[in-house]
Amino acid sequence: MRHELAELWQARELLFTLVERELRIRYKNSILGFLWSLLNPLLTVAVMWFVFKFYMANETPNFSAYILAAYLPYMFFQQAVLDSAQSVLQALPIVKKVYFPREILPLAAVCSSFVHFVLALGVFFVFLLVIYLSDPRVSPFSWNMLLLPIPLILSFFLAAGTGLLISALNTFFEDVKYIVQVILQLLLFICPVMYFSEQVLAASSKHGHWMYIAYHANPVAMLCTAFRKILVAPQDPVVGGKSLPWLSLDWGLLGLTALMSFGVFVGGYAYFNKVKWRFVERP
Amino acid sequence: MIELQQLRKEFRLSHAGSFKTALLWWRKKRIERFEVLRGIDLKIEKGECVALVGRNGAGKSTLLSLLSRIYKPTAGKIIVGGKIAPLLELGAGFHPDLSGIENILFNGVILGLTRQQVQERMDAIIEFSELRHHVDAPVRSYSSGMLARLGFAIAVHVDAEILIVDEVLAVGDFAFEEKCYRRIEEFKNEGGTILFVSHEVDDIRRIADRCVWLKNGLVKMDGPVPEVIAAYQDDPEANESL
Repeated sequence: MRHELAELWQARELLFTLVERELRIRYKNSILGFLWSLLNPLLTVAVMWFVFKFYMANETPNFSAYILAAYLPYMFFQQAVLDSAQSVLQALPIVKKVYFPREILPLAAVCSSFVHFVLALGVFFVFLLVIYLSDPRVSPFSWNMLLLPIPLILSFFLAAGTGLLISALNTFFEDVKYIVQVILQLLLFICPVMYFSEQVLAASSKHGHWMYIAYHANPVAMLCTAFRKILVAPQDPVVGGKSLPWLSLDWGLLGLTALMSFGVFVGGYAYFNKVKWRFVERP
Repeated sequence: MIELQQLRKEFRLSHAGSFKTALLWWRKKRIERFEVLRGIDLKIEKGECVALVGRNGAGKSTLLSLLSRIYKPTAGKIIVGGKIAPLLELGAGFHPDLSGIENILFNGVILGLTRQQVQERMDAIIEFSELRHHVDAPVRSYSSGMLARLGFAIAVHVDAEILIVDEVLAVGDFAFEEKCYRRIEEFKNEGGTILFVSHEVDDIRRIADRCVWLKNGLVKMDGPVPEVIAAYQDDPEANESL
């Protein structure tokens, strides 16, 4: 793998150019450009907020900020994996003509999604400011925000490893893309986006603590929780008139996620390298 | 300098096309082996211009792809001294929604230049392609001749020592074709090596110094252009492809 990483480093300009190209292409023909990529999460969060606040009686202060803080990383993961799934297949005409490190294709898809994610986080802070100004009693800001690089790096490696694996598989079996779509959709429900990990803990107390651990063994769920704990100041969730004690960030579980993210990256990259020579020979 | 030693390439034709068939048939692997190159020995010196001829399926394109490191050889050795640039088919790698300039940047970088180098050569490339008035328009509005001109202009500006051409020369209009030939002559005079596949006997006579005839994955004949072409044309099986 060291040889491949050295080669990748030499081709970094190509990676950079490809990321730039993808960002350009995505918004070339639309007037609102980048705003479109913001409209999706903002609308989704507005609907979730409405449904869960009024029908499911979630009265947590700054609830919409909590949803957005977890939805943005989920959306990054989803977009990065879906885009990279197609990346090798779409570039096959040029892959058959010119040699360059093939892993650049899925990595460029992940990187351009990551750029969107970081830009969207910028907008997230504006959103927090708006919330704060409209209701200055509960400040959503905290010093925890300085920890932001940690979940950012972990989510990048998790998405990159998954993207490498899925793009290689999807090149041989195009059904993989459809399976992944379903899994990603289901993933939203087993990640703490529309509800709180405190509610998961409360529900687990009836069945055993292992349920809470198993829930957070899903690295995407743990990353959503981590982003939430870091991006929004602590508030006890209030659901159905009952207040649940706020849990601080569990570093043990985040450590598990870190191990899994780097493991997925190493494993995904190793698999990609093993099969990348056969992309051009696919039947 | 290019040297091939006992080069073999075998493709595995698997009939497991989809996930379903792969799952259903994972026990019985229905794999057919199909040998395209069966031991090629070839040496091309620096500055030579070599034409490859042969019927469809003789292994010409596979050989060029092996040289550009697209495939891994099944067995044998490839020694390449110098940077290789493949001449891309009609806008392979161009994105239709991006402008000519944006595509030049991307294609230049994919062919191994740095961004800085592409920027420095941008004017020369645009000049050569004669598309000054169109480079800001998206390439989806280009004709196939314009795409070919842009592709050729990029390929000859990447400072390769070895140019690989797979049947793409006869595209632009007559004047541009002349220009391409002049550029190829120049490239040869500067000591560049060219390996090309063509079915146009006139092209081969005009630019090649040497001709290699591939037949069924082996070098059938290797030598001066007139003799090899004559032998190839006399081959009863070859007539239909010429």
